[in-house]
Amino acid sequence: MTALLRVDRVTKRFGGLVAVKDVSFELQPGEITGVLGPNGAGKTTLFNLLTGFIAMDLGVAEFDGHSLGGLAPHRVVNLGLARTFQLCRPFRGMSVIDNVTVGCLAPRVRGEGGIEARARRILGQVGLGAKAEALVDALPYGDLRRLEIARALATKPKLLLLDEPFAGLGSNEIEPLSQLIRRLHAEEGLTILIIEHKLREFMQLVRRVIAMDFGEIIAIGPPAEIVRHPRVVEAYIGRTEAPLGAA
Amino acid sequence: MGRRGKDAIGAAAVFAVLALIPLVIRSDYFTGILTVSLIFGIWTTSWDFMSGLTGRENFGHALFIGAGAYTAAFLNGKFELTPWLGLPVGALAAVAFSLVVGFPTLRLRGPYFALAMLAAATIMQRLTRIFWEYTGGEEGIPGLDPLFESHLVMYYFCLGALALTAGVLLLLARSSWGTILRAIRGDEAACQAAGINVTFYKIAALMISSAFAGIGGALYADYQEAVTPDVFAVALSITIIIMAYVGGIGTIYGPVGGAILLAMLPELLRGLGEYRLWVYSLVLIFILYFTPGGLVAPIWRRFTGTAR
Repeated sequence: MTALLRVDRVTKRFGGLVAVKDVSFELQPGEITGVLGPNGAGKTTLFNLLTGFIAMDLGVAEFDGHSLGGLAPHRVVNLGLARTFQLCRPFRGMSVIDNVTVGCLAPRVRGEGGIEARARRILGQVGLGAKAEALVDALPYGDLRRLEIARALATKPKLLLLDEPFAGLGSNEIEPLSQLIRRLHAEEGLTILIIEHKLREFMQLVRRVIAMDFGEIIAIGPPAEIVRHPRVVEAYIGRTEAPLGAA
Repeated sequence: MGRRGKDAIGAAAVFAVLALIPLVIRSDYFTGILTVSLIFGIWTTSWDFMSGLTGRENFGHALFIGAGAYTAAFLNGKFELTPWLGLPVGALAAVAFSLVVGFPTLRLRGPYFALAMLAAATIMQRLTRIFWEYTGGEEGIPGLDPLFESHLVMYYFCLGALALTAGVLLLLARSSWGTILRAIRGDEAACQAAGINVTFYKIAALMISSAFAGIGGALYADYQEAVTPDVFAVALSITIIIMAYVGGIGTIYGPVGGAILLAMLPELLRGLGEYRLWVYSLVLIFILYFTPGGLVAPIWRRFTGTAR
């Protein structure tokens, strides 16, 4: 099977700091994979590199047969690689439905027509159907997170990058969101790559974990192996918290 | 009745009142003031289409107005072509300027676009003085042919032009174009992440905005039967921004009302004599301070009962 995403020795420097160093991995279609690592490990930088928000210094990334090097963010999205942001970034002053409509207007999906109907269907899918006409400014954080995912889904991605989807959520919001992600993976056949700190969600959601520290990949494997991996344990211990107790 | 129906009836009522005023107050002077305020309406609503919707403030809308006005003046005054040619060619000249400024600066974030617009308009004003042999310098280009002999007919022509401008821009703003432009205002990076080429939309919005401003500039030259460097003035650009804020930015129709209101206000305050500017400034400060969403658009919503 050919990989959907192939990342080969991707490197990014910010001045003297190497934020992402020689990162290589592959994602197979239909996989659900996690990126684990302490703060500053380069996870979000990796997402920004893949989605065209910042340029790679070295290395190659190929998505679905297209090189991602030098592509503007909107071009990457229109290849079928969508992302969400760690801090929700809704279009303030607009309604929930209009927020999703913008994603439905991406060239990749615009030709399909029935834009409003599609936007409503996606809102229903993420559980925001009843709030379609509400202003996003009035939405609680958990709903903004769903909206963020809905807007990405509107572009009909083959690969969805979720940047800490559980960050800032209350404990009662985590399980439903986790189920939503699982459903998108199972029913839509979506390939998903998730950044997360919290191990409990990882254990239940992902099949494979890419562990990073100081911009480098330190281990790749199934979650159960990763949490016992000596370098992963080392990366977490001596920092703010041990991963096993943190979840 | 739906929102569109009430909006349409309201717009028709405003149009009818504007059409009747010069028939009731029969004064060439007053009709002239009204004509200029309609032209201000075209300038302000076209400013709002780019800057109100996308949130990218244009501090030099006079660049497009001046481009349209001087183009019309050159064609008619120097080359002795029909004044009608000034309207389309003035629009094209303004669009050319919008590309020169917009193309390099709208790809960037930060204040570059606002500053470049301000600088470009100021530079053009200087150039009209430096190349005075062609532009007439401070005197400008006088003695242009009017579009119509009758002031009243010119007034109705400007009223039609304003209605057409506002109508077209309002339709665009309520289409998927408007949704995308408002999303750019909300969060540019998120808009890119939704697959939208934001640079394309910002430049296209500026081109549309400049085209209508250029037509407005040509109309102004035709009405004045002359053009002077004042059409490039910073003061004009700032006045337009204030009018848009008073009207309610991002609504397209609000700035039309804001422009007509503020353009007429000095005339309405004429009875106050030398205190006129004081009162004008105070009224302005009160409006801007107490109604952050503008004055015209919220009142309109109350009357038509529309939510947003």
